[in-house]
Amino acid sequence: MVRSSASIRRHNREDSSSVKHTYGNSPSGVMAPPDVVLPTPDHFAIRALRLQELSQRVEPLGEFLTFMAQLASAQQVALEHADPAWAPIDEAFVPALEHGMPPLNVRALRQDIDLHTELAVMLDALELHVGEAQRTLLIRLRELPRDEVDLMADDVLAASPGDPERRGMMPLVAAAMQVAWLRLTQSLPRAPDRPSAEARALCPCCGSPPVASVIEATPERSGVRYLQCGLCATQWYFERSICSVCEQSGKLGYLSLENETGEPALPAQAETCGDCGTYLKVISHGVDPQGEPLADDLASLALDLLLAEEEQYQRSGFNPLLVVGG
Amino acid sequence: MTLRVTRRQFFKLGAAGMATSSMAMLGFAPEPVVASVRHFKLTGAKITRSNCTYCSVGCGVLIYSRGDAAINNIDDVYHVEGDPDHPVSRGSLCPKGAGLLDYIRSESRLKYPMVREPGTNEWQRISWDDALTRIARHMKDDRDANFVTEDGDGNTVNHWTTTGFLAASASTNETAYLTQKMVRSLGMVAFDNQARV
Repeated sequence: MVRSSASIRRHNREDSSSVKHTYGNSPSGVMAPPDVVLPTPDHFAIRALRLQELSQRVEPLGEFLTFMAQLASAQQVALEHADPAWAPIDEAFVPALEHGMPPLNVRALRQDIDLHTELAVMLDALELHVGEAQRTLLIRLRELPRDEVDLMADDVLAASPGDPERRGMMPLVAAAMQVAWLRLTQSLPRAPDRPSAEARALCPCCGSPPVASVIEATPERSGVRYLQCGLCATQWYFERSICSVCEQSGKLGYLSLENETGEPALPAQAETCGDCGTYLKVISHGVDPQGEPLADDLASLALDLLLAEEEQYQRSGFNPLLVVGG
Repeated sequence: MTLRVTRRQFFKLGAAGMATSSMAMLGFAPEPVVASVRHFKLTGAKITRSNCTYCSVGCGVLIYSRGDAAINNIDDVYHVEGDPDHPVSRGSLCPKGAGLLDYIRSESRLKYPMVREPGTNEWQRISWDDALTRIARHMKDDRDANFVTEDGDGNTVNHWTTTGFLAASASTNETAYLTQKMVRSLGMVAFDNQARV
């Protein structure tokens, strides 16, 4: 059976806030922003649009970002049309939600998900658009035995740079895993609670590290910062101006790229921490309402390269669509 | 202070690794982006948590200043916004609080104690020690001259009505308690708070 997009449960991004605020009236109680926001079923399409836009703006990465936009579009097609052989049973995640455990833990579900179907449908959709160099790689990936693909999937989850011979294929495997986990988020009866104090910087859905953080600008979440999962794109609340690695705030800085005329080059900033020597990028919707953490992270690669040159801060953001060896 | 680092794994994203990155393996030359770095400059900003100075609500604010933590340049404040994480105000500010940037940058903002001596029309900067000594002297002299122990009917009143006190806003409960104790123990009755807006 082909699952249509309509059958994927639609989540209202702001539904956990019960207090409504209409203009002209004061709110009827405390307006608390939601703790955890699940991705919408059109998340890959939104990301594809953003990547396409960034490919025009960031010339040195133009072709790469165009390809990534095509990949995100193919992920959307796979999410809507793939029919994976395994789906969680009803109520499967209720106990985990009740006990504050990540219901979609990557290690627990890695063997259950039907990665190969997701990957095949995604590659079908992608192949129509890509250039010759990428097509060869796509064909090689299709012909790989399943257990070899599984090994690559393990490398993706371990955030390992993997076998250099196959590193080019890892983002494609990672993209199929993103589809599988975003699909799982849509089967949750509700968003998980805020993660416990011991694991505040890990995704409350799947336990993966964040790719970057985003400062929202909607009325319900105005100015509130969320970390976004590098795998399933779930967003969870994290206070502004606090390091997501060591939770200190005393030596935080915000570094951004300025071009030769002194103008900001990209909306992404690096939130650097002098206490633990790491950084995570932050994207502000107040500055650019179309910003998407994973897309803007890829597009601001120059910021990573400059920070690496300075040798002061290590990157903590997990972006499985760009794998760099040691 | 022990640093609680919740993550142990970090990523290397330097120019050296780009030639063997997945991007290069996918057929996209990394050289242009590596070269593009020459056209950019890193600029730093800092965000400091604080409280609005105006009233007793004590709304949380985030103060943006240029320069990174290493440079520690906190002089150049360029933006102030409500702190969305503050439990009291949750990011909202009243029109006065929303104008804090102009308050910080105001030419007539008082930044240190000043005195205008009797018979002059000029304000002169003095040290905090001088200011506190002078204020204490004035208070003592005025209290010694005007303290009332009994009213006309012989009732004990022990009050001092010729000096008043205006307390600061955005005080904590503890500061407010100490202020009250100090002012009342001197017998002062004219007492108000800047926070009563």
